[in-house]
Amino acid sequence: MSSAFNPVVQREFFGIVRSPKAFATLLALTITFSIAVLMRWPTDATVDLSGVQSIQVFRVFGYGLLAGVVFLVPAFPATSIVNEKNAGTLALLLNSPLSPLSIYFGKLAGVLLFALLVLLASLPGAAACYAMGGIDLKSGLGLFYFVLLLLVFQYATLGMLISSYVQSTDAGVRLTYSVIFALFFLTLIPDAFFPGGSGVMGTVAQWVRYLSPVPVVMQIMGQGGLGSKGLITSPGNMQFILFTLISSLVFAAVTISRLNYRIFDQSRAQGVITDDRGLVARLLRRFLFIVDPQRRKPGIPWYLNPVMVKEFRCRRFGRSQWLFRLVALCAVVSMVLTFAAATSVTSWGTETIGGLMVILQVILIVVMTPSLTSGLISGERDGGGWELLRLTPLSSLKIVRGKLLSVLWTLLLVLMATLPGYLVMIYIQPQMWYQVNLVLVCLAWTVVYTVAVSAAVGSLFRTTAVATTVTYVVVMSLFVIPLLVWLGRGAPFGFEMVQRVLLINPVGAALSVIETPGFEQYNLLPAAWYVAGGFSALMFLVFGFKVWRLTRPV
Amino acid sequence: MTDQQPIIETVDLTKRYDEFTALDSLSITVHSGQILGFIGPNGAGKTTTIRILVGLLKPTSGTARIAGADCLTESRKIKRLVGYMPDDFGKYNNMRVGEYLDFFGAAYGIGRRKRIVRIDEVLEIAGATYMKDLFVDALSRGMQQRVAIARTLMHDPQVMILDEPANGLDPQARIDMRTMLLRLAEMGKTLIVTSHILPELARVCDIVAMITKGRLRAFGTLDEIMRDIQQRRTFEIQLVDHDQVDRVVALVETWSREMNHESEVTGATTETMVRFTTGLNDREITPLLTHLVGSGEAIAQFREVPTDLEDAFLSVASGSHGGDPPQTQPATQEATS
Repeated sequence: MSSAFNPVVQREFFGIVRSPKAFATLLALTITFSIAVLMRWPTDATVDLSGVQSIQVFRVFGYGLLAGVVFLVPAFPATSIVNEKNAGTLALLLNSPLSPLSIYFGKLAGVLLFALLVLLASLPGAAACYAMGGIDLKSGLGLFYFVLLLLVFQYATLGMLISSYVQSTDAGVRLTYSVIFALFFLTLIPDAFFPGGSGVMGTVAQWVRYLSPVPVVMQIMGQGGLGSKGLITSPGNMQFILFTLISSLVFAAVTISRLNYRIFDQSRAQGVITDDRGLVARLLRRFLFIVDPQRRKPGIPWYLNPVMVKEFRCRRFGRSQWLFRLVALCAVVSMVLTFAAATSVTSWGTETIGGLMVILQVILIVVMTPSLTSGLISGERDGGGWELLRLTPLSSLKIVRGKLLSVLWTLLLVLMATLPGYLVMIYIQPQMWYQVNLVLVCLAWTVVYTVAVSAAVGSLFRTTAVATTVTYVVVMSLFVIPLLVWLGRGAPFGFEMVQRVLLINPVGAALSVIETPGFEQYNLLPAAWYVAGGFSALMFLVFGFKVWRLTRPV
Repeated sequence: MTDQQPIIETVDLTKRYDEFTALDSLSITVHSGQILGFIGPNGAGKTTTIRILVGLLKPTSGTARIAGADCLTESRKIKRLVGYMPDDFGKYNNMRVGEYLDFFGAAYGIGRRKRIVRIDEVLEIAGATYMKDLFVDALSRGMQQRVAIARTLMHDPQVMILDEPANGLDPQARIDMRTMLLRLAEMGKTLIVTSHILPELARVCDIVAMITKGRLRAFGTLDEIMRDIQQRRTFEIQLVDHDQVDRVVALVETWSREMNHESEVTGATTETMVRFTTGLNDREITPLLTHLVGSGEAIAQFREVPTDLEDAFLSVASGSHGGDPPQTQPATQEATS
């Protein structure tokens, strides 16, 4: 390797490429893209002059690739700086003659080169789509890859920025995936409330929508909307490109400015306790917090599982005051949504609002659950706590129960917080009572299912960062793939195929029960519950077995 | 103070990973109230032994018992009998020290009222009362070690196993740690302590076990080990003038040859000193001084260099380089390897 070559690039890039996981990822992607194209490749000798068939293939391929970029790219930059900081090698790098700029670009180039490999692996598939005809090289394939490259750049710079702020690799992974998910999906929601772009709120909502790549990609794929009415007007290609470029440059600039010795400057928490403060301060904090996080805790009572209490206490946002805030936020959002339907702020019926509420809850579940669950075991093993747990007389069953309860309680509280919204919905349309009940059962199953999958997948890995990344990818795939297939309903996927794929998780059933536009024709109950129940039971068994195995002497 | 009943007993304890033997037929006995110093280079098998004793590892063969309970089959009993402090602290983020100890107390099934009292007690023993409201993840290494001791004491175990308790501590913290260990022994606890800081161990341990490459090389009190391992002694002859050094080196070498004893003799002109290592005892070495003085050499001092645990350890460890060390008999009858 030439001495002019940035040594950080060399280490970062080869470090990623040499890992068996990266190799397996590339191989899996190449095989997946090939299979996807082959599955949709015309089997008869008829030439489709209109290009409809090739666009159908291109959609499957394109959304798959987009999902691949969203799932895979953030994992590496999200841990890039925090890993080095915790291992002490960042201090060595900063002490070397390398400037912060070359350290940053070395790391960024390493990540970008790997992402480029991912995109290269997809080129044979893209070439096959193009060869089928009907896809424009410049405004179709070319623009799509340009959008992907922009996304890769944005996600890499964003991941590295977050990585420079967090204190642990799993926090980096969690936060990066959450922000990317928000950028990708949540940015579409305000525009759904104020469609058409009229008024200040409408304009703001439309600009927020430009932050997401979904409208641009959908336009490239020749699809005007998300399957529901009034969502898409203008995809805003230029705005999206400008925002992505500017935000990436800002992310990069802020990260570079943080690459100095100040990154290590962090004072230790002083452990201030409310009990030692004056009466006024104590009363004020009681009023402001309801449950004061700085008050001295009483001992764990005998009737509570100590592992569950420990899990709540050692989560930054697991403390009561944060749970209250989260529950309150969910209650407010669900009430606002239902209020919007009741006062005809939008032209939507209660079915659409109900569908939106279901989707919002599922997003919350999908974002929160892997973050809460994936590190249940790997977090302990990472921090050395597992050894200590093994030394206690706690049985593996009690450990499993405590850990799962800590997640289930949090998610059930969030779900219960949305009940007022559903109650208002029933009040408006009393005949929806039965449907709402079925939806709530579906959502409860969604919680159980997501917790089971996250716990089982997360327990298979030793380090929290890897466990969190893989869990996010698996959980998001389980929820996004059925929606992608549903988007391709009619063509390229037939009714039977879509109905079968929607059974993968209970969300499709919830949306179909509440008669969300596009889901009404599918009959998914009770099969979706059986599938969710069976799969959850299997995943809980895997998790339980793994915990039992890890508590045994080896 | 010890009684006759052994509290820790391992018999032919062996742990193999495929072809690699991490622990080879280790047999030791420790009596109640004793402090055992467990010494060995990195990868010698100390942690393997400890992990078998606390029930985290399954031995390939052999048995280990603590207070009569089998470490493998009676793990629930062992968990109550033993308090283990691993080298890794095992921190939980966002938890205060009080909450941390409360969790472990609850995990050991200690009732809430008793637990609250116990937390204050163990923090006091560990000299960590002021840390009760601090966050566990914000503690320095020395503070973590104290909290770890407090955690280990929460369920009032009979036996405490401390892996590298002095690791990373500053000199004052080491002194405090030593005092704490002696205090624990006074409380009637049996302790197994591993450390690389041998002078620290030498000051607190009743008995020492030296292990290299998974095999027990020496076991017994410090004096017994010195006697067994340090077969050769080093003497220093302090001279008056620099020009004496070469003459005295020649005299010592000649005298040793005449006595039919191998001696390694070195002269240090700058120090005006001659050092020699020999296997002779006090009675046999005395004529050398007479011989030197009789030869007209002015001798300022003639002294034996005191050996310590470090020397003993180095002797054992160096013996293990490039093959098995010379077989040494265990110092006590209980210890066989």
